[in-house]
Amino acid sequence: MSIVEVRDLKKQYDPPKGVVAVDGVSFAIAEGEIFSLLGPNGAGKSTTISMLSCLLRPSGGDATIAGHSVTSDAQAVKALIGVVPQDIALYPDMSARENLVFWGRMYGLSGAELHRRVDEVLELITLTDRQKDRVEKYSGGMKRRVNIGVALLHKPKVLYLDEPTVGIDPQSRRSILDGILALRDQGMTILYTTHYMAEAQELSDRVGIVDRGRMIATGTHEELVKTIGEEAHVELRVDHGLEAMVERWRGVAGVTDASLNEEHAVLLVHDADQVLPRLFEAAAAAGSRITEINVTEPNLEMVFLHLTGRALRE
Amino acid sequence: MRRVFAIAFKDLRSTYRNIPALAMMLAAPLALSALLGFAFGGSSGYSVAATKVAVVNLDTAPAQGSQTPAAGAAIVDILQSPDLKDLLTVSEKASAQAARTSVDDGEDVVAVIIPEDLSSAIFGIDAAAPQTAAVELYQNPTQGIGDAIVQSVVGQSLLAFNGARAAAVAAQGVATANGDADGAGTAAQKAAAAFVHRSEGSSRTLAVASRAPDLRGGRAAKQVGITGLVLAGMMIFFMFFGASNVARTILTEERDGTLPRLFTTPATRSSILGGKFTSTFLTVLVQAVIIIVCGRLFFGIDWGALDAVALLILVAAAVAASLGLFVISLVRTPAQAGAIGAGVYLVLALLGGNFTGTAQSGTTYATVQRFTPNGWLLVGWNEILRGGGIGDIVRALLIPLAFAVVFFAVAVWRFRKRFA
Amino acid sequence: MSRVLTLARKDLLETRRDRLALLFTLIMPLAFTAFFGIMFGGGSDRLPLAVWSGDAGPAAQQLLAAVQQSDVVTVQRMSQADAEQAVADNKVAAALEIPAGFSDAVAAGQTATVTVVGTPGSSAAQTVQTAVTAMAGRVVAGEQAAQAAVDAAGTGPTQGDATPEQVRDAALLMARPLAAQALALPAAVIKVTEAGRAAGQVPSGFVLSSPGMLINFILFSLMSAGIALIEERKNFTLQRLVTTRVRRWELIAGKFLGMFALTFVQQIILIAVGQFAFGVDYLADPAALLLMMVALSCVASAMGMLIAAVLTSEQALVATVVLTSMAVAALSGAWFPLEIAGEGFQFVGHLLPTSWILDGMRGIVMRGFSVADVLPAFGFALAWALGLFGLAVWRFRLSQR
Repeated sequence: MSIVEVRDLKKQYDPPKGVVAVDGVSFAIAEGEIFSLLGPNGAGKSTTISMLSCLLRPSGGDATIAGHSVTSDAQAVKALIGVVPQDIALYPDMSARENLVFWGRMYGLSGAELHRRVDEVLELITLTDRQKDRVEKYSGGMKRRVNIGVALLHKPKVLYLDEPTVGIDPQSRRSILDGILALRDQGMTILYTTHYMAEAQELSDRVGIVDRGRMIATGTHEELVKTIGEEAHVELRVDHGLEAMVERWRGVAGVTDASLNEEHAVLLVHDADQVLPRLFEAAAAAGSRITEINVTEPNLEMVFLHLTGRALRE
Repeated sequence: MRRVFAIAFKDLRSTYRNIPALAMMLAAPLALSALLGFAFGGSSGYSVAATKVAVVNLDTAPAQGSQTPAAGAAIVDILQSPDLKDLLTVSEKASAQAARTSVDDGEDVVAVIIPEDLSSAIFGIDAAAPQTAAVELYQNPTQGIGDAIVQSVVGQSLLAFNGARAAAVAAQGVATANGDADGAGTAAQKAAAAFVHRSEGSSRTLAVASRAPDLRGGRAAKQVGITGLVLAGMMIFFMFFGASNVARTILTEERDGTLPRLFTTPATRSSILGGKFTSTFLTVLVQAVIIIVCGRLFFGIDWGALDAVALLILVAAAVAASLGLFVISLVRTPAQAGAIGAGVYLVLALLGGNFTGTAQSGTTYATVQRFTPNGWLLVGWNEILRGGGIGDIVRALLIPLAFAVVFFAVAVWRFRKRFA
Repeated sequence: MSRVLTLARKDLLETRRDRLALLFTLIMPLAFTAFFGIMFGGGSDRLPLAVWSGDAGPAAQQLLAAVQQSDVVTVQRMSQADAEQAVADNKVAAALEIPAGFSDAVAAGQTATVTVVGTPGSSAAQTVQTAVTAMAGRVVAGEQAAQAAVDAAGTGPTQGDATPEQVRDAALLMARPLAAQALALPAAVIKVTEAGRAAGQVPSGFVLSSPGMLINFILFSLMSAGIALIEERKNFTLQRLVTTRVRRWELIAGKFLGMFALTFVQQIILIAVGQFAFGVDYLADPAALLLMMVALSCVASAMGMLIAAVLTSEQALVATVVLTSMAVAALSGAWFPLEIAGEGFQFVGHLLPTSWILDGMRGIVMRGFSVADVLPAFGFALAWALGLFGLAVWRFRLSQR
């Protein structure tokens, strides 16, 4: 049962000649799943989230959250979603508690219920001890936690997180990721955008790969990787005769593709454990010596490269 | 509605936690008024420092030894009389050049140069060849007030002499007409003496009384201390700044991301903007009340009828808030808001008379003042400080309110467009 | 040194590019000038005076005639109640009330009273009072002279069965015009001359106030320069500059130079408008004027540097600049002549460099000051500027915390 349905969403700034940031994106998110939008900077991820947050008006297409349209029923949508923006959006001269109380009121909470909920969220983000300190005095990681906490106050059905781990230390990142997984386990649906493949891989039930405003692939990690086959990516260098070696290796059993990339031979191979020894034999037979070898199991980054011809992090 | 107040309360708390904002809103008007009060010796009105006068008497005594002293010496005596001690500090110089030099050098503000032919001109009553002698006042044009005092004193002295001479001339004429040409000279002298006697009598012959006008309902206008007027003008000026501090948070929140975030919550745009408007209004309202109370406590200002004061404060807060939002709706960044806002408020304050007081009706300046909302507010403050009531300030309430409505409407329109 | 110039040039470029701020920097001086032109332009307006007379006698008539002919006031005749209200409504500067019995009192040598009704504290009412006192004084003097003349010369032989009063009146009829004529061509007059100027030229209000306004505005415009510095601190570009080999004093000098250039341009605009549109003779001595302009820009820039060096938030900057510029302007005599303020205030005022600069500029415009005359002010101002600059360098904060 899809709680989020996005159909052909478009956004063009300053039509008719302006930039097309999102060019017909469609996907669906099932209730209780974590869906990641993965793509490089400028792919249109934040614009998509802005439209789904009712912050930007789509130029075309529509999206529904639990059946409510973002274009015609924004108020209902806002009550159901929690938005964690990419940049810290808090009042620096107010304490964590004051921030949470204020935003809780904006979400319609009040009275004893509001304060109870604020206590719960403070507990969740482990800032109960420092709740009275002004946010401007917090470390980057602490600010991020409050930033997330604000979005959880009203127990939203769907949580949007826009690149929440950019520029923070590994420890804080770890705790945020663990927190997100915990929320999913409690039944929350989560839309997560990132340009870090490892995060998308770790967190998501399903991934949507976006590039230049278009959705170029969706599916589980396994499904996406399968599109490029189960081939491993092998990069080699030899002491001499690289071009000739590329031709030789093309013929080795288990090698599905071989090409030359500057000073590397780039091979796609099935079952790297079996094929690698054959590669060495072939090199030895030709009188060349392998000086460098890099094996990468299939992953989303390779999927992206395969689909777009460019690296995920350019 | 609850959300509107939640936003308003948040901003209010933020503003009153912000020390620089408080300094601007409260300390500045009070400090400047105190400074000006110090300038003018407190709330009792102007107190002027004594004007420094250099005097040189070149007058020679009249040829015949007469009872009347030389005119020049008489003028010097008057200038140095104890009655004028507080107004004039007189020093005698040896020559006209010395007197002029002391003015040039800035030691004295005005030099009184009594010519050598003064007495002979006055006492020579040969109608066929009347002489004129000129007492020269050589003054420093950059200082305007002191000259007027000296001119007045010297002028009155000369009037006395001229009057006596006129009496003498007239007596001569009357005597001759009566057929007593021989006695004309004696009559002239007697007339002059009689004139002097008349005008030097213990009761003066002319009194120019001054009083304040009676207001509607027979109330007499109060003597208003200068501090009250100054503080009223300053208060309005700094309320503009107070409002712009809060209004500017719309831009800073847009830049910092909390405003877009607000738009992702169920809070409607109207309630978000409404919250900002409310917080701006409340901030300056509280500011005005604090200043009014401080004015009463520290400067002893009697602001006047409480109901009129309350209405005037409410309207002033509405004007300040709407103007602040209007200015913010026209600029793009918080930095622009700071500089441009300050400029706009300064120009408005100058045009409206916040620093110079309400102008005389009929002058160009008065007309210009009527084009500003703060000019009208000041007219209102003037009225109630002088003892007026609500009935006296109806226009001063309604016209600024109309300005506020227009500013508000434009601000709403622009924000709607911007945050569509 | 070249780094200093590069820094200054960057600042000016940024200012030029921020079009809205630039517009404001140029529009503001013009708006200021226009304001003062409105306030003081068009020569001196005659003050409207409401006049009520309850006396038909000769002295009252004479006074009325004198008031009508005065060039200080314009007369509006109305009833006593209307006159009262007109003053209360601020429609006239003051009201003159000539009560019944005025002429008789004058004739009898008793105290004759007229009343000037005016709003307390109004300078216009004060001016009217002074003028009326002078006019009434002349009227009374004329009448007293005639009376004294008749007293002295006698009334002549009685004719027929005329009463003594009638005889006296007849004599007075003769004496009055003689006295009036004598007073019209008085033997002793006052001649007003002004130091440093051709006699008879009275400076307009604008001339008196233009230099003060100039100083006020220049102080106020520190705002935009200061805000730019604060923005730089926020953007971290300032801190980054320090990680290059730019030394702290070079950084501050570069900023100072930028502010100096900006305020100097603004002065040029204000002076040009004052000179050519309002006849304020700034160019009477260009060398002396240049010294004063340099002094003012130095002081203002040093002040701006100090404020921006120490404060880190825009709000604090705006608050401080507004408060400081207004207080300094008032203390320097820009708002009102220092001579009308108390001794303490004057003392403090004369400690400030801006009051010296103001005196210098006024001297140039109105008293023919030359370079030698303004040199002390120049020196004093420069000393202040150096002191403030030194403080700024010492206290300059690179970070926001």
